[in-house]
Amino acid sequence: MNKEVISNSRTGEKYTRIKHRSGLDIYIWRMENYSTTHALFGTKYGSINTKFKTKNEPDFITVPNGIAHYLEHKLFENEDCDVFSLYAKTGASANAYTSFDRTCYLFSTTSNVYKSLEILLNFVQEPYFTEATVLKEQGIIGQEIRMYDDNAGWRVFFNMLQGMYHNHPVKIDIAGTVESIAEINADLLYKCYYTFYNLNNMVLSIAGDVDVDRVLEVCDKCLKPNENIELETAFEYEPDTVCKNEVVQQLEIAVPMFNIGFKAKPESGIELLKAEIETNFVLSLIADESSDFYKKLYDDGLINSTFSSEVFSGDGYFCSIFGGESRNPRLVRDKIIEEINRCKKEGLDEKRFNVIKKSYYGSLIRDLNDAEAVATIMLNSGMEKLSAFDNIEAVAACTFEDVSARLNKQFNTDNVVISIIDPIGGKEEQ
Amino acid sequence: MKIRYNREKVGDGIHFTTIINECQKTNTLIIHLVTELSVETASLNAVIPYVLSGSSDKYKTITELNLKLSELYGAALRGSVSKLGDSQIVSLMAGCINDRYTFDEENITEESAEVLIDCLTNPYVENGGFFECDFNLKKQELLDDIDAEINEKRSYALRRAGETIYKNEPCSVSAKGDRASAERVDFVSAYEQYKKLLETAQIEAIYVGASEPGMVKDIVTERLSGLKRSYKGENHSDFSPLKDEPVHISEQLDVVQSKMVMAFKSDCKNIHAMKLMNAVFGSTPFSKLFLNVREKLSLCYYCASSYNDKKGVMLVDSGVEHANIEKAQAEILNQLEKVKNGEFTDDEINEARLSVINRLRSVNDGARSIADWYFKQSYSGTALSPEDEIQEFYSVKREDIIEAAKSLALDTVYVLTGKESAENE
Repeated sequence: MNKEVISNSRTGEKYTRIKHRSGLDIYIWRMENYSTTHALFGTKYGSINTKFKTKNEPDFITVPNGIAHYLEHKLFENEDCDVFSLYAKTGASANAYTSFDRTCYLFSTTSNVYKSLEILLNFVQEPYFTEATVLKEQGIIGQEIRMYDDNAGWRVFFNMLQGMYHNHPVKIDIAGTVESIAEINADLLYKCYYTFYNLNNMVLSIAGDVDVDRVLEVCDKCLKPNENIELETAFEYEPDTVCKNEVVQQLEIAVPMFNIGFKAKPESGIELLKAEIETNFVLSLIADESSDFYKKLYDDGLINSTFSSEVFSGDGYFCSIFGGESRNPRLVRDKIIEEINRCKKEGLDEKRFNVIKKSYYGSLIRDLNDAEAVATIMLNSGMEKLSAFDNIEAVAACTFEDVSARLNKQFNTDNVVISIIDPIGGKEEQ
Repeated sequence: MKIRYNREKVGDGIHFTTIINECQKTNTLIIHLVTELSVETASLNAVIPYVLSGSSDKYKTITELNLKLSELYGAALRGSVSKLGDSQIVSLMAGCINDRYTFDEENITEESAEVLIDCLTNPYVENGGFFECDFNLKKQELLDDIDAEINEKRSYALRRAGETIYKNEPCSVSAKGDRASAERVDFVSAYEQYKKLLETAQIEAIYVGASEPGMVKDIVTERLSGLKRSYKGENHSDFSPLKDEPVHISEQLDVVQSKMVMAFKSDCKNIHAMKLMNAVFGSTPFSKLFLNVREKLSLCYYCASSYNDKKGVMLVDSGVEHANIEKAQAEILNQLEKVKNGEFTDDEINEARLSVINRLRSVNDGARSIADWYFKQSYSGTALSPEDEIQEFYSVKREDIIEAAKSLALDTVYVLTGKESAENE
């Protein structure tokens, strides 16, 4: 077992990284005097991983959309009871989520940490499905999918992704579709489980006032060593261009909502982190609340305080998104393109870059206040084989030149998609 | 973790609360103005935090203000309006990282507090009102937010149900008021109301940080004690009266999944028994509602209960297929009947208690959660710590839970359905 303390002089914080003999990477951050402990047990397996192979298989296989999320639901059931009932004995509050590129099981507790940890490690390592229990879940998941069909914030985002990506599965709803989940059976679930829930593909992350040795005792007892099966995932070829420039839907809402996305080339590892940070700087410089551009759009009544921007990225996808409400979303898009072109020509504002840097750094410090945020940072960085402090250090080291170069590289105004949700019966101003 | 808490009077109806938690990496200052909720003033009050959090006399535009906040390491400045029982709460909050994390040991905590208190007491005023041009944009934002309530169907259903559940009570009014009265608000009437609010509202300033507030307290106290006051007295809420007959209402919208809200009322004063009963019945993922209505019968995607101790009301809200509405309603009533009949095990009580206690223990960890905790204590005229409250739950017995459940009577059933599903019947 390989144990290493990772520390950071800027913040005075540290945590422990352990490569466990079972194959699992374990991260433990002791937060002294905190009441809450937050634990995350996650696999690098999300909705986009529908095509994969291991060393035991000659060819890639493709599985139905929504299967990672389906598997998450089913793992919450043991052979004899629901996992929530086990946690009920420790007082921990438990949950799980599936995103585009990971599935995580978590608990948060103020007592019985080690007992709760045993429950977490055990149930995730003990799949139990039968055709009958798999079939039963279709009802609940079908309802979940339909609930999101009414959610304008969710729809406006996925419609944008559908316009942006020709083939990449990031454009498919995480839960899949009512049709795709009908193809899921117990055999497929076991297949995906034994491929992706291999401890070599997983991370355990714990933040709270815990004792490292006691955590490891529980790990030694509960973790079953896994052979490295050399998992490979693959995606269909994805062109640089967008698929459609505009996607419009009508829903029962009041003010039209929009997402405006700029497609860029995907990155990975430390290059991805650098790209995310620099792009965030660009987005703030162009359109955050202290920019002249924001004020102009706001004063013209084109946007309101829901306006924001973000970087959305992962394995095989990277884009910048501006979102909000507007009575004239297409004009907002045109203004953003105009502003991007102006900044490319005239350059960004260096004085504001330095101010934004403080603000960005401050937001990362703020995250360290909270056990859940800290556990999540360790999990995310661990899955990318990075340190949890790389983010803070990369922000501190980022230069104005890096950010200016990123603007020219990342923002191709031809690769833009606008997704609009209009109110039923209404139409935004032309 | 040891939390130090102190609340002291610094003016007529004005208090300054200090909460010290050495683990905090941030310092937070919140100022709540507490007033009664009423149809006449709800929208007038609601627009105030929108205006105050966007500018001040010193930082006249949103750009100048946000640039200042960015310089303070991304200090957050937020305005909000909410409701607690029958009261309306107008709040301003400022938060920044501890000075020790700044690049050059800058004194940003004091500066952030100054920005906040300046926004609150020294707004940008012109022609006898809030600066009109900005005001109109803020008012539009309030209108957009009121309109946008329909976007989230779960909270929309709860809000609409509330209008019937609390009919003729202040609590029936939405925290942001209704659209028609919000439209009538202008830059002068809002400014007049703002002055009145500072004069009459209960003011609670709350500081949460790793060390003593020092100058922050002096700055805040000095500015607040300089206000002209004619304080109207403390606010309170009354339990909601039960209707003679349960009221059933339904509404149609173009949605795929239907929503159902059921309200039960109680006059039980043992709120700890009520809270524990609520946990056994429906607020956890191992409660009767979750295990039976959702998991066993797959009737709802979500189905959870919540108890409002200010109003004596327990709500059950659910997302349900239209065809299952009646079945779900019957099953929810059936599960409540089981609690009333004492059909729950000691394990169920212990698990519910553990879950409630777990939540209480974590209150201390977050700046916002501990500030909200003590604010609610002040509102209720108590000063219990989360640890004190935990002790209360140990003394709740099985009979108390049964009594609490028996005190509940159905008051309102609200259903939001899709147009097509309703037509197909």
